[in-house]
Amino acid sequence: MDVSSALEAHKKKFKTTEVEKVIPLDIDLGLLTASDINVLDDSLLKSKDTAALNKYLRRITRDGAQLLINSIFSRPTRTTEDSVIAELPKPFLKLPREKHVPKPKPLTRWEKFAQTKGIQSTKRSQKVFDEATGEYLPRWGYRGVNDAEKQWLVEVKDGADPFQDQFQKLRDEKKERVNKNQRRHQRNLEESAAEQRSISNPRSMQKKDLQRTLVLSKSSTASMGRFDRQLVGEPKVKGVKRKFKSNDVDAGEEKDTSLKLLKKVVDAPKGKIDVHKAIRKLKK
Amino acid sequence: MRPLTEEETKTLFEKLARYVGKNITHLIDRPDEPHCFRLHEEKVYYVGETTMKKAAGINRDHLLSFGTCFGKFTKTRKFRLHITALDYLAQYSKYKVWVKPNGEMPFLYGNHVVKAHIGRITEDTPEHQGVVIYNMADNPIGFGTTARSTVEIRRLDPTAIVVFHQSDVGEYLRDENTLF
Repeated sequence: MDVSSALEAHKKKFKTTEVEKVIPLDIDLGLLTASDINVLDDSLLKSKDTAALNKYLRRITRDGAQLLINSIFSRPTRTTEDSVIAELPKPFLKLPREKHVPKPKPLTRWEKFAQTKGIQSTKRSQKVFDEATGEYLPRWGYRGVNDAEKQWLVEVKDGADPFQDQFQKLRDEKKERVNKNQRRHQRNLEESAAEQRSISNPRSMQKKDLQRTLVLSKSSTASMGRFDRQLVGEPKVKGVKRKFKSNDVDAGEEKDTSLKLLKKVVDAPKGKIDVHKAIRKLKK
Repeated sequence: MRPLTEEETKTLFEKLARYVGKNITHLIDRPDEPHCFRLHEEKVYYVGETTMKKAAGINRDHLLSFGTCFGKFTKTRKFRLHITALDYLAQYSKYKVWVKPNGEMPFLYGNHVVKAHIGRITEDTPEHQGVVIYNMADNPIGFGTTARSTVEIRRLDPTAIVVFHQSDVGEYLRDENTLF
């Protein structure tokens, strides 16, 4: 039995899966994208025959989709219980980053100093071996080995006051170190803020901020600071003076400015349409 | 006395435009003598240049009034038109309402205009539109805002309010001491 004619007839019902393009499409299967850089028919694009244009554009889109699907089917596949899965490669198109590149952190005083001196920090392990307990403990911090207060015995150094509490001394010293570090941290923040606002002297910025805070806090009482005691060298606060145009401006100039303003007011878009009027106009 | 700021001019024009629309141009751009708006004690005066210059020489405390008072700025900086501006509004108004003789007195006592009192109304007047109110002898007697459009008015019953009262010439007697 010859079925070739029947097959031919069935085949004719569908479009062919083979698409020919002058320039092959860039297909990124990872992103399931096909980009077509072939030249479009200019005369069709500019023509007013929208039906023909739509048909043309639909054909191009269909061809692109066909090529994309062809390339998906050319990938190695595996079958699961209820479907066939094609494995897609990793995308190679680079998408632009959504957010801008973060700015580098401002350097602290120590980092600046280390840079000029060429000091490089060596990486030390976070944990050290504690011989007393025979296990690895953090170098510092919680349960750290450098906790001076954990010692059961503190030596009184030569020339030290024998009646001084050495444990208390260690505690005080640690507190002082922490406070000092906090002050340094604060100073680093202020300096970097001044640098960002391009103020050469961070102290002047500090002074300005302080004065502003002073003025604000003084005027924040119930009497707006009227009964507060004046400080020595307190900055005088000048309010903003209202400024009006002169009374005897040139008449022509004044006319022009008001006409300009009037145009803005009158030509402003109105929200409502008089529906009745519109209907009557249409009927005419 | 001082010129209006840009914001004040804008609120003034917006209010005036409700009644006269684009015709404000005729107020600013006059063929005879240049006129301007001046603020004095929160009241806005429309005044010719020569009068303004003469008034400028008078001490603020002693200056009572000059030119035509158009209205005043409220403490919330809205603008309120006074009846004294009626001459100019009537001259350039786009939409008008004529009131029958029997409705004249109620309006002049400060009441709204009801449908039964309306003699004529400009065709195509929209809703909430500033209108100048005339008596049947064509004398302007006040101004207000329409409550309904012309088309809707036809379907209303006679006692329904058609124009909201805003100002009437009766105020010349009632508010004599604050008006100018």
